[in-house]
Amino acid sequence: MTTRLKVSVVFALLAIAVVVSAAAASSTATPGLTKTSVTIGGTFPLTGPAQLYGVIPKAENAYFQYVNAHGGVNGRKINFKYYDDGYNPAQTVPLTKKLVQQDKVFAVYGSLGTAPILATRDYLNQQKVPQVLVATGDSYWATQYKKYPWTIGFQPDYPGESRVYGQFIHNKVPQAKIGVLMQDDAYGENYYNGLVAGLGADKSKIVDVEKYDATQTDVSQQVVKLKASGANVFALFATPTQTITALVVATKIGWKPVTFINNVSASPLFMALAQKSGANVQGDITATYVYDTINNPNTATAKLYKSILAKYDAGADPNDSLNIYGVANAWTFVNALKAAGPNLTRQGLMNALESMKNVVNPFLYPGVKMNTTKTDHFLIEQQILQQYKGSAWQPFGHLFANAK
Amino acid sequence: MTALTRTLVPGFRIRNSWIVPLLIAGACVFLVIGSVQSSLFAQQTVSGLANGGIYASLAVALVLIYRATEVINFAQGGLATFTTYIAWQLIDWGLTYWLAFAATLAIAFGGGMLVELVAIRPVERRGNILTIVIASIGLLILAEGAVGWIWGAQVKFMPSAFPARVFHVGGVAFSFQDVGTIGVSIASVFVLWLFFRFTKVGLAMRAAAVRPAAARLVGIRVSWMLSLGWGLAATLGAVSGLMAAASPSVLLQPSMMDGILIYAFAAAVLGGLESPAGAVVGGLSIGVLLNLLPTYVDWVAPALLLPVAFIVMLFVLLVKPSGLFGRTRVRKV
Amino acid sequence: MRSSLVARSAVIGAAALAIALAPFILSDYNRSQGADVAVFFIAILGLNIVTGYTGQISIGHGAFMAIGGYTTAILTHDHGWSELSTIPLAALVGFAAGVIVGVPALRFHGTYLALVTFAVALAVPQVAKNYSHFTGGTEGLVLPAHSGLWLYGASWTAAAILFVLAWLILRARTGRAFRAVRDSEVAAASSGVSLAVYKTVAFGVSAAFAGVAGSMYVLVNNFVNPDLFGLTLSLYILIGAVVGGLGSLWGVLVGAAFIQLLPIGLTSSHVLSSQSVPVIFGAIVILVMALVPRGAADLLRAIVSFHVRRSSNAPSP
Repeated sequence: MTTRLKVSVVFALLAIAVVVSAAAASSTATPGLTKTSVTIGGTFPLTGPAQLYGVIPKAENAYFQYVNAHGGVNGRKINFKYYDDGYNPAQTVPLTKKLVQQDKVFAVYGSLGTAPILATRDYLNQQKVPQVLVATGDSYWATQYKKYPWTIGFQPDYPGESRVYGQFIHNKVPQAKIGVLMQDDAYGENYYNGLVAGLGADKSKIVDVEKYDATQTDVSQQVVKLKASGANVFALFATPTQTITALVVATKIGWKPVTFINNVSASPLFMALAQKSGANVQGDITATYVYDTINNPNTATAKLYKSILAKYDAGADPNDSLNIYGVANAWTFVNALKAAGPNLTRQGLMNALESMKNVVNPFLYPGVKMNTTKTDHFLIEQQILQQYKGSAWQPFGHLFANAK
Repeated sequence: MTALTRTLVPGFRIRNSWIVPLLIAGACVFLVIGSVQSSLFAQQTVSGLANGGIYASLAVALVLIYRATEVINFAQGGLATFTTYIAWQLIDWGLTYWLAFAATLAIAFGGGMLVELVAIRPVERRGNILTIVIASIGLLILAEGAVGWIWGAQVKFMPSAFPARVFHVGGVAFSFQDVGTIGVSIASVFVLWLFFRFTKVGLAMRAAAVRPAAARLVGIRVSWMLSLGWGLAATLGAVSGLMAAASPSVLLQPSMMDGILIYAFAAAVLGGLESPAGAVVGGLSIGVLLNLLPTYVDWVAPALLLPVAFIVMLFVLLVKPSGLFGRTRVRKV
Repeated sequence: MRSSLVARSAVIGAAALAIALAPFILSDYNRSQGADVAVFFIAILGLNIVTGYTGQISIGHGAFMAIGGYTTAILTHDHGWSELSTIPLAALVGFAAGVIVGVPALRFHGTYLALVTFAVALAVPQVAKNYSHFTGGTEGLVLPAHSGLWLYGASWTAAAILFVLAWLILRARTGRAFRAVRDSEVAAASSGVSLAVYKTVAFGVSAAFAGVAGSMYVLVNNFVNPDLFGLTLSLYILIGAVVGGLGSLWGVLVGAAFIQLLPIGLTSSHVLSSQSVPVIFGAIVILVMALVPRGAADLLRAIVSFHVRRSSNAPSP
C-alpha cells in the first residue's frame, strides 16, 4: 500500500512540478522596457513554404545590432526576439502570446504574413500591444486602423503597386492584350484589383486570367495557356518561386510579352536565378521603393548597408532586396523610437509612427518620403518603375505617387 | 452489413493481367492523338511529362526502400534535399558539376547506409513498422532542419546537368532539361532492374526483404542488406534532388522537395509500392494529369487540383488496391 | 490484478488532480498552452481508437480536425452560434466524415491505407481554400478571443468527457471487437465480428473525436484558415499517438505534451538558435522510438507493475 501511494504521490508531484516550472516571472511597469534596453519580438516563417522570407528578421536584427553598437536609442539597446511560425497561424498565435506574456515585449515588430497577422491582430489590439511595421502588402492594416489602432504596416500596399502598372499600361501600351497570372487567394486578388483600378476603361483589355494555388510550384500549365490566349502583356502577380518558373517557361515556349513583375518577387536575386535558368527577362518592368545598391554601389548608404550585413548578418546576399527591405524597416522603427523620446511608452511609439512628416529613410529610394497621420496609416506611397536591362534593374521615369 | 458494404464499394477484382497494359496503351494513344490535334494539348502534355519525371525519380527511391524494408520512408525528400545541398556546397567550393555530382552520389550512398545504421536500426530492433515510420518522420524533420541550420533559408542557384537549351518540334517546345530528367528516371529503373535480376547482391537484397529468417539461414547478412537498401535509395534520392533543383520550378531551399514528395508518394502508390516501373508510370501519369486537368476541365480551380488528382488516383486504387503494377498480396491467417 | 488497477487509477487520479489544479498556479500564457495540450490529447485519443485499437493506420486526422474546426468557425462567425454549442455538431460532422472515409478505406490495408489517409489530409484544406466564400479562404475567419482560463477550462472539460467516453467504448463489446479486428481480421471475421461495420465505426468515432479537437483548436487560436491543417498536423498527431503508446489510454497525455510542449519549449530555451530546434526535435523523436518503442504507456505500465510486484513481495506491515 505504502509503495503504491508513494508512486502516486510522486507522479502527482512530478506533474505539478513540470507545470509550475514554466510559471511566469515578475512584471514591470511598461513591459519590455528597462533603462538600458527595449525588448521587441516578431514571428516569421523561418521554415516551411514561405521560408525564403526568413532572411528578413536577420537583416532587421543586423541593423538593430548596428544601432546598439553605437549606443542604442536614448541609451536603450534594442533586444529583438524572433520566432519561427512556419507561416502557420496555429504557431503564430501561441508564439505571439508567448512574446507578450512570457518575453514581455514592448511591441510586436515586423511579423510577417497576411493570415498570421490577422490571427493575432485582435489579441494584440485588445491587450494594447503595438503590432508595428508588419510585413504584408495586404492593405487591411492601413484601411482598418479605426478598429485596430495598434496595428500598422510598412510597405506600399499591393493594390497601390499594381494600380501603377495599370496606369502605365493605360498610358503607354495602347494595343495591350493583357494576360494575368495570379495566386488564387487574397495575395493575388489584391494585385488584380489594383491592376483593374489602374487600367480604368482599359479593363476590357484583359484577355486571360490564370490562377495557381500556393502549393503548386510549377505554373507551366498556366503560362502555356496565357501564350495561347494571344496576350502581349503579362501581369505576373506571383510569389518568387512561381515567378521564376513563369519567366523561364515563357521564354522556353517562345513567348516574350511586356512583362510586369510584382515587387516582392522582383528581387535582383530572383531575377538572376531566372536568368541563369534560361529566362529572357530583358525589358521586364517592376516597381520599387528601396535604395538601389546595385547601380549605386559606392555611395555612403550602399557601403553602410553592405558593412552592416557583412558584420551582423554574415552570409546574407546584399543583392536580395528582402535584405534591404529589412534594413529599411528596422531604420523606420529606430526612427520612431527616437521620436518617441526617452520616456518611452507604447502609446508614444504609436504616436510617433502616426505622425511622420516627410521622413527621409536613407535605405529607401531617394525622393521617397514617409508620411503618416492619425487617419492615414500608409507610410510609403511613392514608387518608381524600373526596367531590367542586362543584369540589373534600371529605374526610369520619376516617382509615382499611389493614387487612392 | 457486409453485403451492403459490398454494394457501396466497387468490389470487382482485376485478375486479368492484360487490363493494365491496355489502360496504359489507351492513355498513350489518347495523348498522341490529342497532341497531334492541338499544340496546346501537346505542350501541356510535354510539360506534364517533364514534371512527372521528377516525381517518378523520387518515387523510385521510395519504392526501393519499401521493397527492401516494407517501410514508407517519409524522410526520402528531406534526405534528397540534404544531398542536393551537399552538391551545391561542393560546386560552391570549386568542383566542376560532374565531379560534384559523382561525389554527391557517393556521399549519399554512404550517408544513407550510415543513417540506417544510426537512426533506423536501433528502432528496428525493438519496434514495429509504425515505430520505424515515426522514426522516419523524425528523420524528415531533422534533415530539413539541418539544411536550414547549416545553409540558411536564402534561395540558391543549382546548375543543371543538361544544357538549358530548348528545341521545337511542330510548335511544341522541348527542353533538354525535361528530356534528360525523364531519361534519367527511366534509366534508373532499368539499372535497378538489372541490379535486382542479375547480380548476387540484388538477389540477396530481395531475399532479405521477402524472407528475412530464411535469408539468414543461407548466410545472407540481412541487416547489411537493409543498410544497402537505404544507401541505394539515398543515392536515387540524390539524383532526384539534383534533377529537381535544376528545374526552374524548384528553387534550392530547405523545403524544396516537400511538394514533390507528396506526388512521389501518390506515384509510388498508384504504380504499386513494390514496382519501380510502376513508380515511373505513376509519376509520368500524375504529371500529365496535373497539367491536362486544369487546362480542359474548367471547374478544376487551382486549389482543387490536388484533391481532384487524388480522387482520380483513388478510383484507380479502388479498382486495383495494390496499384497498377502491384501484385495482390495474399494475407495468411 | 486488483492492485495494478488501483495503482493505475491512482496515477490517473493524480494526473487528473494536477490538471484540475494547474490553472490556479499557471500564468495566462501557460494556461493557453495547456489548452493546446488538451486539443492534441483529444486528437490523439481519437487516432488511438482507429489505429491503436482497430489497427487501421491513419495519417489523415488533420483533415477531420479541419472539418470540425471549420464547422465551429463558420457557425460561430457567420451564424452567431455560441462557440461551445457548436462542439456536439462538430463531433457529428466529424463522425460523418469518418464514415465517408472509412467505407472506401475498407479496400486498403497497412501502408496503402496510410497513404490514402495522407491524401485525404492534404485534400481537405485545399477544398476549404477553394470555397473561400464559406471558409474565408486564406485570409480565414477571426473568432472571438478568450482568456487562457476559459480556453483551458473548456478544452480540458471536453477532454475529460471524451476520455471517459473512450474508456467506456473501449472496454465494452465494441472495444473488444476493435481489438479483435486489429489482432487478426480473419479470426475476427470467423468469430462473427463484422469487419466492415467495426472498421467503419472505428473511423467514424475516431473522426468525431478529431472533430472536437479541431473545434477546440480553432477556438484556442481564435482563427481558422487552411494553413492550420497542413500535413505536419497529421504527422504530429501520429507521432504523439505512438510516443504516448498505441492501444492504450494511459500514455495519451504524455504524447500530447510531447508534441505540443517540447517544440515550443526548445524554442524558448534561448540556448539553442531557432534554426536548430527542428534538428533537436527530430533527433529526440528518433531517440524516443529507439528507447521506448511502445510508447509512454508501456513505460508507465512497467514502472507501476514493478512497484506493484515489489510491494506485494514486501512483508505485510
